[in-house]
Parts: sequence; C-alpha cells; structure tokens
Amino acid sequence: MAQEAHSGGIAEHLQYWTYKFDESNPFMQIHLDTMLTTILVAAGLVLFAKWLGKRLTDGVPSGAQNFMESVIGFVDDTVKDNFPTHNPLIAPLALTIFVFIFLCNTLDILPAFLAHHIAGLFGLEHYRQVPTNDLNLPAAMAVCVFLLAIYYEMKLKPAHFIKELLFQPFAALLLGSKNPVVKLLGVALIPLNLVLKLVEEVAKPLSLSFRLFGNMFAGEVIFLLIAFLLLGGGAVGMVAGFFVGLGWSAFHMFIGLLQAFIFMILTVVYLSIAHQPAEH
Amino acid sequence: MSIDLTFIGQIVVFLTLLALLKKYLYGPLHDLMEQRAAKIAEGLAAADAGKEAKAKAEAEIARQLQEARGKAQEILTAAEKRAAAIEEEITNKARVEAQQIVDSAREEVQAELNRARQQLRQEVADIALLAAERILDEELDAKRHAKLIDKVVSQEIGHA
Repeated sequence: MAQEAHSGGIAEHLQYWTYKFDESNPFMQIHLDTMLTTILVAAGLVLFAKWLGKRLTDGVPSGAQNFMESVIGFVDDTVKDNFPTHNPLIAPLALTIFVFIFLCNTLDILPAFLAHHIAGLFGLEHYRQVPTNDLNLPAAMAVCVFLLAIYYEMKLKPAHFIKELLFQPFAALLLGSKNPVVKLLGVALIPLNLVLKLVEEVAKPLSLSFRLFGNMFAGEVIFLLIAFLLLGGGAVGMVAGFFVGLGWSAFHMFIGLLQAFIFMILTVVYLSIAHQPAEH
Repeated sequence: MSIDLTFIGQIVVFLTLLALLKKYLYGPLHDLMEQRAAKIAEGLAAADAGKEAKAKAEAEIARQLQEARGKAQEILTAAEKRAAAIEEEITNKARVEAQQIVDSAREEVQAELNRARQQLRQEVADIALLAAERILDEELDAKRHAKLIDKVVSQEIGHA
C-alpha cells in the first residue's frame, strides 16, 4: 500500500488502461479495460444463454432456467405495467440493460486492487475493473435509449411530437387566444418553447447516464478511501478496514442492483412515454 | 472520465449484446414461458370442463333417480288400486252367487214341498177313499161320494 500511496494517491487508481490513437485529440483514445471487461461480460452472458438454450424444458423448470424465468417474468411484468401497447423489442431491451448493468456493477465485489494487480503482472499500469465506472458505458446505453425514444416518437406520432417541441409549454397563449397581440407573443415564444423542450429531452439521457456513473464511481472512490485511510494504518487499521470494506461491499452490491433496476425502469418509462398515444 | 472512442465501442457492445440476448436468451425463454402458460391455462380449462361435466352427470343421475322413484310409487299405487278393485269384484260376485244358491235351494225346497203336499193329498185321498169305501162298501157308490170326500180332504189339507 505504501508505495501506491506516494505514487499518486487515489487519482492514480482512477486511471484507465488507455490506448491513444491521437495524442492531441482527447476523443481519439479508447479505454481498453472497459472494452475488454464489457466484452468478457457480454460473451459470458451469451455463452450462458446458449448453454441454457440447449437444456430448456417446457415442463417444470429447475435451477438456472428457473432463475432466468423469474428474471424474465419480473422484467415482463415491469414492461407490461408501464406500456400502453405491445412492442416486442422493449422487454428484451429492458432485460439486457438490467442483466448487463447488474453484472458490471457486481464486478465491484472483487477487491478494489485485484484487477489492477493482475493487470500489473502483464505489465499494464492501469486497469479499472468496473466498466460502469466509466462514463462511456452508461452514456452509450443512455444515448441508445434516447435515440430509440426519439425514433419511436417520430415513427408513431411525428406531428404531435413536433407540435410539442414547438408549442409546449406556452401553447395556450399561441393557440387559444383571439387577441392578436397575445397571439403574436405566442408565436414569439416558439424559440423559447423549443429550447425548453430540448433541454427537457436531453436531460433524460444525461440524468440516466450520470445517475449510474455517479453512483458506481462514488462507490469505487469510497472503496479506495477505505483502503487508503484504514488499510495503511497498521494492524488495527487493517482489521477495521476489512470490516468497513466488507460492510461497504454489501451496501454497494445493493446499490448496484438498485441502479441496474432504476436504469431499466427509466428506460421502459421513457420509451413508454414515446408510445403514449397522442392526446389530440 | 472523458467521453472518447470507448463510447462508440460501448454502443457497439451494447447493441450486439442486445441482439444476441434477444435471440438466444429472451426469445426462447419467453416463448417457452408463454407456451407453458397456455398449457396451464388449457389444463385448468379442461379441469373446469371436467368438473362441470361431473356436476351435470350427477344432476342427471339425481333427476333419473327421482323419476324412477316417482314411477315406482305410481306403479305401486296403481297395483294397490287394482287389487282393491279385484277384491271388491270377487266379494260382490261371491255374494251374488251365494244369493243365487240360496234362492235356488229355497225354490227347490218349495217345489219338493209342493210335490210332497200333492202326493200326500193324493195318498190321504186314497186312504180316505179306501177307508170310506170299506166303511160304506155296501151301500155307497164310490163314484158318488168321491166328490164330497175330495172336497173335505182338500179343506183339511188346506188347513194343515
């Protein structure tokens, strides 16, 4: 611990294993650790699915099938409760988000430095083991959901969507009044409406991604703080650090499950708003 | 902590995972669960139908039992009535027959009595005539006095 403490502190551990394509452009780099971990998790999920697919039975389910059936039943119920119409894409989307984020979050149960040290054996300087700590992952999923919601809005009720963009929330002034001055004022408010509505829409993916990222990142930072503050402090600190770390692990697992659920249910809610039939 | 190419990579990973999980995990399991739900619903419906059929059959049995009981009662009543009628008929017939027997017996007795009376009268007349003949043998002509004797005898017999 000691050499880590003087080689850069907590910030040192919040570095990614990065490959830079272009040193001058901060966008042209890729976090290999995040990519590798997510691909491994995804591959594991697909392999599990294929393995399970071979031993499916329509009789009495047991073991893994039983477990997955209850997960799918739970996701299906959530989607059914929130959705006015049937869309065959929504439930698999919600399931993927829930399972994937939950698994990524659960990687946090591994000791904070484990992946870092293993990577060190291969000569790597940095390895962040929890991909949901990387803003890129939540942002990518949130943007996918956002684009999907926009797509359904435009597909299912384009006129209503554009009207909402232009006339909300000051539509009453624009449409309802016979007074030409007020009507003119309403027309003048269209740009303001547009800006407000755009902020409202963009806030959805932003809050969605930052909520997950913030929770997981903070959890990681707290692990690191526990490690630095307690584990460095002799025998008493080691023991205290072990138990505090254990407690935080349990709580953080709960947060991971909760955040996966929140991400899933907000996805369903955003998409169900897009599917709500137009009121007029 | 910055948005970079990882973002693009994550989109690719996420969408690929979504497609694969939809195909290999959600699809088959969801179909399976729906199949099972349909099967269970079918089973429950069949059980309900069976129960209904049983109830119907039981009602039918009860109805037929009731009917049979009613019919048996009817038959019994008819038989009793018939027996009573036959009994009365037989009694009447016997009574009539007995009356006839009594009547014919009485007639026979009367006829026998009449015949006996006739014979007796004849015999008494003969005896009287004989006696009178013997008494009045010498002087009395049997033919002249027969008329008188006959009259007396018939008077006497009529009184007897």
